[in-house]
Amino acid sequence: MTSSAKSANRPGVGWALLFVAPATVGLVALYLWPFLSTFVKSFQDVPAFGPATYTGLDNYAELAGDGEVWQAFGNSALYTVLVLLGIPLAVVLAALIEQVSRGRSVYRVLFFLPVVTLPVAVGMVWRFIYNGDFGLLNYVLSWFGVDGHYWVADPRFTIYAFAAVGVWMGLGINLIILGAGLQAIPKAVYEASALDGAGRVRQFFHITVPLLSPSIFFVTILTVIAALQMFDLIFIMLRSVNNTALADSKTIVYLFYEKAFVQFQQGYGAAIAIVLLIVIMIATALQFRLQRSWVFYG
Amino acid sequence: MGERRTWPIHLLLIVASVIMVVPFAWQILTVFKTTPEVARIPPTVLPEEFSLHAFETFFSTVPFWSMFAVSTGSLVLRVVGQVAVAALAGYAFARLPFPGRNVLFGLFVAMLMVPSQLFLIGQYGLIRDFGLLDTLPALAIPGMFSAFGTFLMRQAFLNMPADFEEAARLDGANPFQVFWYVMLPMAKPTLAALTVLTGLYSWNDLLWPLIVSPSGENRPLPVGLAGLQGQFGTDYPTLMAGALVCSIPLVLVFLLLQRQFFRGIASSGLKG
Amino acid sequence: MRHTWTAALAVAATLLTACSSGSTGGSTGEAAPAGEKVTLTYANWSEDQAPAMEQIATEFQKENPNITVKVQTLPWPEYWSTLQVGAAGGTAPDAFWMLADHFREYAKGGALIDLSDTVKTAGIDMTAYPKAVSDSYTYEGKIFALPKDFDTNGIWYNKALFDAAGVTYPDDTWGWQQVQDAAKKLTDPAKGVWGIAAPIDAQGGYYNTILQAGGGIIKPGGTASDFAGPEAVAGLKFWTDLQKAGVSPTLKQLSDTEAVSMFESQKVAMYFSGAYWALRFHKNADLKGKVDVAPLPQGVKRATVTSGIGNAGYAGSKHPEELKKFLVFLGGAKAAEIQAATGTVLPAYKGTQQPWLDSMPEFKLQVFIDAIDYSVPLPVAGNTAEWQGLAAQYLAPAWDGVKPVEEAAKEYQAAVDEVLAKQ
Repeated sequence: MTSSAKSANRPGVGWALLFVAPATVGLVALYLWPFLSTFVKSFQDVPAFGPATYTGLDNYAELAGDGEVWQAFGNSALYTVLVLLGIPLAVVLAALIEQVSRGRSVYRVLFFLPVVTLPVAVGMVWRFIYNGDFGLLNYVLSWFGVDGHYWVADPRFTIYAFAAVGVWMGLGINLIILGAGLQAIPKAVYEASALDGAGRVRQFFHITVPLLSPSIFFVTILTVIAALQMFDLIFIMLRSVNNTALADSKTIVYLFYEKAFVQFQQGYGAAIAIVLLIVIMIATALQFRLQRSWVFYG
Repeated sequence: MGERRTWPIHLLLIVASVIMVVPFAWQILTVFKTTPEVARIPPTVLPEEFSLHAFETFFSTVPFWSMFAVSTGSLVLRVVGQVAVAALAGYAFARLPFPGRNVLFGLFVAMLMVPSQLFLIGQYGLIRDFGLLDTLPALAIPGMFSAFGTFLMRQAFLNMPADFEEAARLDGANPFQVFWYVMLPMAKPTLAALTVLTGLYSWNDLLWPLIVSPSGENRPLPVGLAGLQGQFGTDYPTLMAGALVCSIPLVLVFLLLQRQFFRGIASSGLKG
Repeated sequence: MRHTWTAALAVAATLLTACSSGSTGGSTGEAAPAGEKVTLTYANWSEDQAPAMEQIATEFQKENPNITVKVQTLPWPEYWSTLQVGAAGGTAPDAFWMLADHFREYAKGGALIDLSDTVKTAGIDMTAYPKAVSDSYTYEGKIFALPKDFDTNGIWYNKALFDAAGVTYPDDTWGWQQVQDAAKKLTDPAKGVWGIAAPIDAQGGYYNTILQAGGGIIKPGGTASDFAGPEAVAGLKFWTDLQKAGVSPTLKQLSDTEAVSMFESQKVAMYFSGAYWALRFHKNADLKGKVDVAPLPQGVKRATVTSGIGNAGYAGSKHPEELKKFLVFLGGAKAAEIQAATGTVLPAYKGTQQPWLDSMPEFKLQVFIDAIDYSVPLPVAGNTAEWQGLAAQYLAPAWDGVKPVEEAAKEYQAAVDEVLAKQ
């Protein structure tokens, strides 16, 4: 454990191990091990009580032919795509906020409020707003002569309704991360282009977006991973007794949860979770591949 | 740029802000309405008669203060634990070479991508085996070891200049002293970020507290709020009152410490 | 509250699997030595009933000074998750409420204490309980819970809305046609009033009408269902016809706002449901003097499903002897009388129901007791939670009128049979 002056440039391995020990023990016991046991369960039939039996790839085979699983993946994919639309919105808003000097912090606070509100509370408030009979949304739409819908009771709209809330909730965080990225762009770049006669819109597309692309990429990665794991909104907003929209609105994590924790089918649930993990990994890898074509590292 | 007019920008931002705030405004207006008034078609905007009934129902149903104490206690535990564990590990991953470092770090990163629901069963088993069910530590422990913190701290330490470290080492400081006196103070923004983000996760967590508090003792606010929805299905004023009261503590903290929140989150993004 | 069963919060029945070793090893513990203090916990999910449960516990402690009973009240949405996780962790309450549709999984898994011998030695008369209820807590010939209360179904109706539409109140002469006719007359779109609520509700709704049409729901033996037979289809059509006639809020409306809330806010005039709403309606000031209850209408015959809460004990309890003593007390006449007097439930024990009737004289509650004579146990088979969860998905198209009832019923039957075949 001693580090003499001679080996000053290379502290002992012992120290390093000591430093990583707590995190590693926690990782193995609380994450890696549970993960591996789930992985094993995905090859088993696990009844509610009693011993599990190995069934090989049966769970995966069943899953491939299960319309409910496909639908849940479809819902999660749709939700992810819709929530990604919130990123251009965040970029525009971040750029606008950056343009003003007065009131900047007020705007930021207002946009950030949903981030510091309990998600359970958010779900409850929006469920009320979405109510088809006396909800605020339909009331406001009626001012413009637009017909309302049963936003969280009609499976045609539920995913869109969730996505709107998802964007609303995530905007604050995205704005802050993007705002920090904007401040890192040297003012001189804008000044130079202004001298060339570039307008705001032109500047936005030719300077802001390219120079901000690393931050946009980061936000995109986080958004995709979080969106594919969406669970709590559906959990809170569709939990009425007879909500017939639930069957067609399940996301993949919700389905996993239902199978593993409600319907006594842990093995099948585990297989669903493993497939989701593979999807997330592919999606992330794909984004890293694609970033080469659009992310600009100055 | 100062020459340009900013009022169109303000106009756009104000419209956007209003959209952001309307749900909260609607929530607050609803709290003071009576249950029949809420179900009226079309809805009323202002409460017809100012009713505090919703708050009464909420406070008589949910043990708010004890749940608040549990939420706060588990948050402190989790944040302190996570920051300590993650800072140490992050420093080693960034600055102290050891065999197998990349493989181990790869494992941490891999766990970031696994949906957290997948860990529930194993984590529950461990908490139970240690006899921690229904205790405050049970709420905090898994969150203390999340790979996210380690990842974030490593990024912070990676981006620091080596000069100070070298100098301290030549002065005879051991690696812990280097870490504690030299490197950690430089990582303050990231520590703040980690504190904010871990605090947010802890405060918002719903599923885990449900699982590890089987006897119903030591349950935090989100659990109480979710339970309220089960009990008062469509008594919207009471639900909105609960949602409001349970959200207020963190909103207040945020308003007081805005700068720390923003700087923290911003620094988590920049280093990505 | 029991009907707000939200699967979402029900965590981890299967947590048990991960760790079922040891904790459910049966009643190996011994009775505590005389004089030693023992504490039992008793879990329930009803704030309304908690005072009565406390009173029962106090009464029991008077008779058994060495036993302390701690009553735990958990919110309904968390009740089952808590119980199951607790059973896995060896921290489950000693005594707890059980429901028929959850019972099988617990009994099969050995999580419940076997009361068969206790019933014999304590001389409990099982015929004192409605047979439909006591049968539902018997598994492979063994008794695992004693009935606490029971519920049958009736037509809750809003007298004010009937008066306004000039329709006579429902009574025991009503058949299906009268319900359909009355619902039409009661519906007033201008006022936002519907004649009846027709959700996809099994226990309060289509199970009853299927039975009334002469159908059977689950075939004898429990390995196949009967949702597509002509009787079952007739029973389902009772509800889809109401939807088609526009005399009920749509499924979407009933998804946004539950049927019982619609009834409470006086937007529907009739609501088929159980005795368990009596207290809630009774306490609701807006409904004072406006609500009453009538028997379910007759189809080919009279029928209602019935179920009831059972008091069960945890097989892993540290004090099995004291626990059995407590469960016997819970199943006895004294506990039933306390429940009846507080007006909260219809106790299962024969002859103790009068105080419950007297506690809410505004309602013709005798309807629910008379219904015992023609009641049928709630159907359970295989993984009941799973196949019941499929109902909304398969039946909704029929309710919405986009698929013939016969077709939807056939598809639902196939899906249920697939679940049952997994046994």
